Amino acid sequence: MSTARRFLRIVPFIIAGISPVAHAEPVWVQVRQSMVRAKPVFYSPGISNVSYGDQLERVGSEGTWIKVQGGGIQGFLPLSSVSADRIVLVARDITKVKADAGDVILAGKGFSREVEQQYRKTDPKVRYDLVDRVEREARVSNQAVAAFAKSGGLE
Amino acid sequence: MIRILSVFPFVSLCVLAGCSNPALSDLGASVLSSTGYVSSDQAKGLFTAGEKVIKSQEELTPEQEYYLGRAVSAQVLERYTPVLAPGKTSYLNLVGQTVAGVSEMPETFGGYHFAIIQSDQINAVSAPGGFVFISSALLKQLRDEDELAAVLAHEVAHVVKRHGIDAIANASLFSALTEVSKQAASVAASKVSSPVDLGPITTVFAESVSGVTEKLLTKGYDRTQEYEADLYAANLLQRAGYDPHALDRVLTILEDSSIHKQGGWFDTHPSPADRIEELKDDFTFPAPQAPNVTRKARFKKAMG
Repeated sequence: MSTARRFLRIVPFIIAGISPVAHAEPVWVQVRQSMVRAKPVFYSPGISNVSYGDQLERVGSEGTWIKVQGGGIQGFLPLSSVSADRIVLVARDITKVKADAGDVILAGKGFSREVEQQYRKTDPKVRYDLVDRVEREARVSNQAVAAFAKSGGLE
Repeated sequence: MIRILSVFPFVSLCVLAGCSNPALSDLGASVLSSTGYVSSDQAKGLFTAGEKVIKSQEELTPEQEYYLGRAVSAQVLERYTPVLAPGKTSYLNLVGQTVAGVSEMPETFGGYHFAIIQSDQINAVSAPGGFVFISSALLKQLRDEDELAAVLAHEVAHVVKRHGIDAIANASLFSALTEVSKQAASVAASKVSSPVDLGPITTVFAESVSGVTEKLLTKGYDRTQEYEADLYAANLLQRAGYDPHALDRVLTILEDSSIHKQGGWFDTHPSPADRIEELKDDFTFPAPQAPNVTRKARFKKAMG
């Protein structure tokens, strides 16, 4: 096949903004923060951070991890960290949701920060201050976990 | 823009009503597109968005689990004082994240959080979204890192399997969640700044928090869930590189402590002896590992 013909074959993909990978499916990040990793392993070095509602393309899978691409990067995310349902941040214009979008999840609706704020008013005794403190003190980085596992012979 | 806004009240009415009747949805789209303000596809999309949102409310999202878990944790911490010792907490989280990291859910919406609570009860509990609490009394009984990992792996299993949420997953919950999404979709579509009525969903939220808290602290999980969590934990330990026999040893500690015979929290639990038997039936234990010197030393250093 000539170079010109090869080029013509990938033109539609270039126009569509995606690489020519079979069965690419859109997925949306459904955790607050995650990291696209180089390998399908929790402690693997991160390639790029992603946030709640970010859209990526699923281009493969490996066990309970999926291979994703988007924004010029390619790597792995836990399957549990993405949704095949479109996640819409309500602050954005919901009218942009297309008819063929599939099921839609409204971020921040249902049991959410705003419901938590209402709930706290109904029972001021509950110790959200301690929950916040537990969340702060419980943070460990992926690199720390990786080093911890390695030094303990857990790899 | 003003012309478009003028047709949105009609859209919002239909979204609020759910537009469950396809004919009504098509009619609405037809009326909208006939105005020339939006295309046929755009109009249809508005109605479909409302319907799809409704269909999506059939299970809790990770975000919803997280906020439920925070509230349940707030209830736990109202009753039990957390042990705020940075060295111990950091070590606990490194062990916990090591086992959670090899699970099907290595990260949750807000991340896993492991904490120690001051209690004479030999106990550990986990709330939805990845909040795990281990009592100071149980911690004192553990002899090495692998046993600690076994306890945390068991609690991570309850989180991954969403056992806590089973206490509240019912039609009325999802009906309330659907309603609030419909309202939000309506408000967003109409661009009207009227607030969504949070009263009903807050009531359901409070009931859900009570339901999960009661299950965690009073009723306990049922036998099937405990067996499932044990089996999952044994697999997590093996996958992470810990000795799965540590789970066997922890269950023996529970059996020897006779805590399960004291009533209360352990009333509905299967006895540790039964759990050991069940685990041996379902899990093929590898040959026991030689104790890892580094893990033993750092456990002793962290837990004193």
